[in-house]
Parts: sequence; C-alpha cells; structure tokens
Amino acid sequence: MSHKAAKIGVTSLVLLTAFGVLLYTTLGESMQYYKYVDEVVAQPAAWKDKNLQVHGNVVPGSIGRKRDSLDYRFEIQRNGQKLTAFYSGVVPDTFKDDSEVVLTGRLTTEGFKATDMTAKCPSKYEAAAPPLGAAPK
Amino acid sequence: MATLGYYLLLAAFVVAAYAAAISVGGARRRSLALTESGIGAFYLVTAIMAAASAIIVYAFVTGDYSIKYVQRYSDSAQPLFYKLTSYWGGLDGSIMFWVSLLSAFGAIAVYVNRERHRELIPFVVAVISVVEMFFLFLMIVHNNPFSTYLTQNPTDGAGLNPLLQNFYMVIHPPTMYSGFVGLTIPYAFGMAALITGHLDDSWLRAVRRWTMIAWLFLSIGLGLGMIWAYEELGWGGYWMWDPVENAGLLPWFTATAFLHSVMVQERRGMLRVWNVSLVITTFFLTLFGTFMTRSGIVQSVHSFGQDPVLTQLFTTFMVAMLIFSFGFVIYRMPLLQARNELDSWLSREAAFMYNNWILLFSAFFVLFATMFPTLSEAVTGQRITVAAPFFNQWMVPIGLVMLLLTGIGPLLAWRRSTVENLKSQFLVPTICGLALGGTVVALGIPLWSSGLCFAFSGFVLGTITQEFWSGARVRQQTSGTDLFTALVGLVGRNKRRYGGYLVHVGIVLMFLGFAGEGLKKHETLLMKPGQQVHVGGYDIRHDRIRVTDDGRKQMVTAEITVLRDGAELTKMYPARWFFRKHEDQPTTEVAIRRSFAEDLYIVMPQFEPGQQSANIEITVTPLVNWLWFGFGVLALGTLVAVLPETAFAFASARVPDAVKAATASMILLAIVTPAAVQAQDGTGVVAKSPQQRQLEQQIICMCGSSGCVHSTLENCPMRPACHGHTAQTAEIQALLKEGKDLDQTLAAFVEKYGQAVLAVPANTGFNALAWLLPYALGFAGLVTILLTARRWSRPATAVAGGGETPIDPSLDARLDDELRNLD
Repeated sequence: MSHKAAKIGVTSLVLLTAFGVLLYTTLGESMQYYKYVDEVVAQPAAWKDKNLQVHGNVVPGSIGRKRDSLDYRFEIQRNGQKLTAFYSGVVPDTFKDDSEVVLTGRLTTEGFKATDMTAKCPSKYEAAAPPLGAAPK
Repeated sequence: MATLGYYLLLAAFVVAAYAAAISVGGARRRSLALTESGIGAFYLVTAIMAAASAIIVYAFVTGDYSIKYVQRYSDSAQPLFYKLTSYWGGLDGSIMFWVSLLSAFGAIAVYVNRERHRELIPFVVAVISVVEMFFLFLMIVHNNPFSTYLTQNPTDGAGLNPLLQNFYMVIHPPTMYSGFVGLTIPYAFGMAALITGHLDDSWLRAVRRWTMIAWLFLSIGLGLGMIWAYEELGWGGYWMWDPVENAGLLPWFTATAFLHSVMVQERRGMLRVWNVSLVITTFFLTLFGTFMTRSGIVQSVHSFGQDPVLTQLFTTFMVAMLIFSFGFVIYRMPLLQARNELDSWLSREAAFMYNNWILLFSAFFVLFATMFPTLSEAVTGQRITVAAPFFNQWMVPIGLVMLLLTGIGPLLAWRRSTVENLKSQFLVPTICGLALGGTVVALGIPLWSSGLCFAFSGFVLGTITQEFWSGARVRQQTSGTDLFTALVGLVGRNKRRYGGYLVHVGIVLMFLGFAGEGLKKHETLLMKPGQQVHVGGYDIRHDRIRVTDDGRKQMVTAEITVLRDGAELTKMYPARWFFRKHEDQPTTEVAIRRSFAEDLYIVMPQFEPGQQSANIEITVTPLVNWLWFGFGVLALGTLVAVLPETAFAFASARVPDAVKAATASMILLAIVTPAAVQAQDGTGVVAKSPQQRQLEQQIICMCGSSGCVHSTLENCPMRPACHGHTAQTAEIQALLKEGKDLDQTLAAFVEKYGQAVLAVPANTGFNALAWLLPYALGFAGLVTILLTARRWSRPATAVAGGGETPIDPSLDARLDDELRNLD
C-alpha cells in the first residue's frame, strides 16, 4: 500500500512540476497588465514598454481618422486623466464618443500604441439597476 | 398583475420550502403520506412557476411598461416573437425562467422515477427544492422581475438591443439554460444516493439518460452561440475564450467526463467516488459559470455590472453546497469502495481514465485562465490578463490529445490488451490516419497543428468505421441477415455505444472545422469604387455603396462582385443597419458565401457615402461549415443513444423483406437529407408564408418617382396610388400563383429590373432558417423512423410470442455473449 502511495505521490509531483514550469513559461509571454487610464498616467515610466491593457472611456469629440486610411487617433480618460491613443485597423461597432474601451498595446512617449481594441459589448445583462425614481432611458 | 406575480414567487418559495422539509421528514419516519405530500408540493411549485411565467409573458405582449423589467427589454414596435422571448432577455427574467425550467424538469424526473427509485425520490425532491429556493430567494430580495415604477409609468419601452434581435440569440439562452438546469437533476439523484446510502449503481441508471439530454442541450447551446458570433458579430471567428463562453464550456467538460466514466462504474464497479464527485463538480460549475458572468467578478467584453449583493448570495450558496456535498462524499467513503482494481494501464478502463483526466484538466485550465485576472489581483494587487492566444497555446495540444484518445479508447480491450490484440486493432486506423495526414501535408498544409489534426481525425474515423464494420459482421454471421439490417440491429442492441461513436464522428467533423480555422486568410482594406483585390483565390471588386430605408432601420449596403479566374462568381452585400432608437449602435450585416470547402466572409465596418468608398474586411475560412455539420451529427448521435429501445426493435425482430428495403432507404434519407441541405447556399431555404408580404419587404419600388426612391414596396410612400407599386405587387402575385417560390420570384425580379430591385440581398434572417433546417430535418427523420419502427415491431413481437421463435435462443445467447466480449 505504501509502495503504491509513493508511486502515486512521485507521479503527481512530476506532473505538477512539469505543469507548473510550462504554465510559468507560457504565462510570461502572454501576460498583460490590466490598468485604468488614471493609473497609467500617474506613473508613465513604470508602464512604458510593457504589455499593457488600458481601460477607459473615449473622450467625446477626440476621435480623429486620417483620410482614406484606418489610422485612428483619440483620447481615453478616467477620473479626469487623459491619455492619447493610436490605433490602426477596423474599430468595433461600439467604438464612439464616451464608449468604454479596453486597448491592448504598449505605452510610448507619444501616447498609447494599441494593437487591439475591444469596446464593451452591449449585453442583455444590464449594469446595476438605475436608482429609484430615475427617469427611464 | 405585477403584485400577483410577486406573490406567486413568494408562494413558490414557501411551497418549495414545505416540499423540502416534508420530504426529508417523510423519509426519516418512513411515512408514505408525508413523502407523497412532498411530491405533490413539488408539482405545485411547477404550476406556480408556470403561472408566474404566464404573467410576465402577458405583460410583455400587452406592453405593461409599469413593470421595470418589461420596460427595459421590450418596446411596442417589437415583433411578437421578440416580445415573447424578451422574457429571458435580462438577468431577473432569466433567473425566473431558470426556476421555471428547473421545476418543470424536476417534476418530470420525479414523475418518471417515482416507482423505480422510490427510496431516492424524497431526497431528490428535497435537493431540487432547496436549489429552487435559492433562486427564488434571489428574486424575492434582489432581482425581482415584477418590480414596478413607483412614480409615473413610462409610455414605451427601451427596446431590446438590436444585436440580440437575432434568431439564434433568441433560442441560444433557453438551450443553454436547459443544459444547465438539466445537469441539476443528476446532482439531485447523486446527493439522494449519498444521503440515503443507496450507493449501488441504480442512481446512475436513473440519471444516465438525463445527463445525455442535458449534455445535448448544452452542446447545441454552445453551437448556437458560436453560429451567432460568426454570423452576427462580424469578426470572422466564432470563439474567443470570453468568460461568458467559457462559463458554458466548463460544465460541458465535466459532464462529458461523467458520461464516459459512468461506463467504467457500470461495468467494472470502479471510479465510484470519482463519478459522484464529477456530478457534484458539474453542478457546481453550472452555478459558478452563472455567478462568474453575472456578478461582475470577471472582466469581460460583455458589460456586466458589479453586483456585490449577488456576489455575496451566490458565494454563500456555492460554499454551502460544496461543503454539504463533499461532506457527504467523505462520510459515505466506506460505501464507495471500488469493486475492482485497475488491471493494466493498457485497457479500456484506463483509456476512460485518461479521457477523464484530460477533460478535467481542460476544465481546470479554462477555469484558471478565465479567473487569472481576478486571482492575480487578489494575490499581487495587479490585474494581469491573459488573452485568447494563451488559451489556444494550451488548448490546441490538449484538444489534439483528446482527439487521439477518441480513436485509441475503443481499440483497447476491457481489463487488459494483449500485443496481438493491439496489432490487429490498430492496423487499419493507423493507416487511415497516416494516409489522410500524409495527403494534407503533401498538399502544403503545415504539420502543426492542422496537419496533425487531419491525421488524428483520419485515425478516429478509421477506428469508428472498423468498430461498426466488425460488429456488423459478427452480427450478420450469427443472425444470418444482410449486412445493413445487422448494422441497424447492432446499433439498436447497444445504442449508447454506437450512438456514442456517432457523436465521436461529429466531434471529428468539428475538429476538421478547427483545423480550417488555422488556415484562414484575412485582409482588411479601404476600397474605392471599382477597386479590385485578390484574397485566397478570389478577386473581390467593390462596386458602390447604396443607402436604403425600410421604416424600421436605415441600411447602408456595399455592392461587391466576387470573381474567380476572371469569371463572375457571385455578388455579395455586406451592410450596416441603423435601427431606430439605436442609431448610435449600428449592427454589422455580414455577407457569407458558403461552401463545403470554405467560406468567403465579407464585412463592411466603415464607409464614406460621399466618396462611395468602404472599409472591407475579407476572411476566407476553410472547412468552417464542417463545424456546424459536426454539431448536427453530434445531436443525431446523442438522440440515437437516448432513444427508447422500441425505436430499434424492428431490427432485432423479424421484418418482412419489402420493409427492409424501405427502412434502408429511409435511414439513408435521414442521413443524407441534412447533408444535402447543408450543401445548398445559405439563402436557398426560405420560410413559406406569408410570402407576398416578405417579398414586398424585399423588393424596392421601381416607379422612379422621387418620393418613392429606394423604399420597399411595403413602405412606398405613394402607395397605393403609385403605379410602380401596383404593377410590381401584381407581378409578385402572378409569379406566386404560378407556383414559384420566393427565390424564383426574386430571381425573376432581378432579371427584369437588375440587382437594384433587392432591398436586402443578404438577409441573415433567412440564413438562420437554413442553418436550423438540418437539425430539424435530422430530428424529423429520427422521429419518423421511431414511429414506423414501433408500428412494424408490434406484429413481429406477436409472432415471436406465438411459440415459433424465429431465431434459435441458444444462438441469440451466443450472439449476446460475443457482443459483450466485443464491447
């Protein structure tokens, strides 16, 4: 019985270690820090050139697009802190003034260079209920 | 009305509490009267929930906007169909829908099993009632769907999000819920077995079929979600490892594991602790999935609000449930001893164990990666996310191993496989795998990971064919029938096994679809009118942009010509629709050209009407249709496995020869029909009635007067005096009278007036029907077979009972024996 237990123990230890090592190495490549705009703006030096996801709202009226191209320049904000962002490619349907976006990319001295953009998808599961008596939309 | 609804929820809570208490009390005192009363109360909950559901549906249909939930998820302009389905459009309603389904499923399960598993029933009633109570409590204190506006009532609703006004999004949630709720039943039976100590295999028999049905719902639900993402969201893919998607996948993994390991327990009496733990884990994951997506604990592209109250309630319930359940597992450990030990690592039961480990590991990995942002924030204070590439990096190899195991498992013998045994069994499948893998690699497909996927698929298909072939041969020799009847009889004898193989075929087809995903070509560019681009063997030309309006929405459509080798292949019309009230949130209408080999998928995310230029996203995805087809085969296989015995009685009984041929052709038809439908283009199948109205919505009035330009016949402002309108409606009527269907009529119009006559050339609504049809046909075919089989089997049984046994009983016994050994 103890022999069997030892066998099981060693096997699971080896498997777990292998799994842990694999997980650690693969995680390192694909990890992205998830930050809000104001956190990034507060310490730009700390976040420069790291895999980063930035969460914020599009500043109304800031969206600009180069003519005949898919190059966008806009600003995102949170708690009054603003960050200029660049994105090249097709934007989601829900990307518009004041929409909530999560950008993936790197922070540079000119601004945030995004390689990927997700805008919050409207879902049937609403956010917290509006306060009592608030006018319905 | 709303008050009545709320009181009904309160009443349901009280009655469920009574049912739980009285059942436990009755079981302890061995009082039949008390347990019967518990069952009665249990049925009553179902009735109350049905009444409450009726009230909310009535409120939706009549537009009672004093109820907040109705106001938020519907408006007066919505078609009736969407008004009905707005019931599960939001969180509060979906919880109520959940309870209603659970009470209905529970009532059926209790009714079916009340005689056979008398000792378990009181606790089954108690466990389900407690789960119902939790959700009812949630509604009463926190998510009341019947809450009303206290001050003035709004006159109209906010309307359902246009993205969700889609056929698949209407049937996807109830399918998912049915799967989730269905998995509560096995849990209830498992717990009842643990509590009563009746831990023989009878509880497994009671839930086997249930689990398969729930699993089928879950699978189809996942499939529908994928189709929705593919057709509606317009990013060219169907799965992006979003937490919401993962939430549905987690219990699917563990339920699949359970369906496999259950066979080991039935046959060898092993893995008993494991099985009951799997059932508990599966139920836990259905709760956890719901919790994860609704409470805002995980960041997702779906915006869920943070809801601390919901988080608290759910956490409490889940922790209590885990402690209670696993507490009983530990308490009953002595009764759960395995009857046998594992003989060899090269045996069928070992293969089932590998399968279980991999499935469980998949579930664990997906759970870990989904929760990683939350975990990392809790541990380090930094929110660190992992994206889809990370999931793929892990799940692709895991999936491939799983696929390979699907082929290896059936080749191993129970208890122990000998070397000769392995040689003879592996020969054919290995050749199949090498042949298919070699061919595709020679065609230039990379070995990793698509090439391997093809090779393994070939291996699995080889295994399954060999299984069917050798089984049918044995049966043919012993029973002396023709090969085909032997094959059907074989499936009928062991429906679960051969139905399971069919499911495996479906899985293989899906994997072929996944392999195609790795080979897709993608291009995004800004195109001016007349500009042409070459992508994946197609030449794609942007012609112009057109703006139309049908009264409910404004539609901006790009006209695109697809050429291959200079010859025009087809025209495609990607569009953007701007629904009234939701103008700031246009929907993307994807244009898809489907074929068995590949899909051409075109999206127009942006446009400039002034310059007539548009951004065009072109994706060529090989083999993606095999994925949907695989779901169809999977559903068919599961249905074979859950069908009652009588469905196959005709093949084991003696059947007149004429009938045999008819059966053969019918079954062939049932198999081929979905394939034939699949082969047609998505626009080929259209609803029948009311055709005229549909056509009038699709055809643009060509009278040419300025007021009429670009409106459909139905919305032509000059109607009915407009000469174009009258002439065209008359034409439609004439064509329909000639017996032409919608497409032919439309084609006739296109011939006469040109493409411009069509308001919405690529209508996804019709595609939707086309994709559902294979499933419907497959199902209808099976039902027909079942019914005919029943009719035929009756006289045959009478003959058998008449004293003259058609088959020598000793032969029959020998056949059974051989089949068992074969198993």
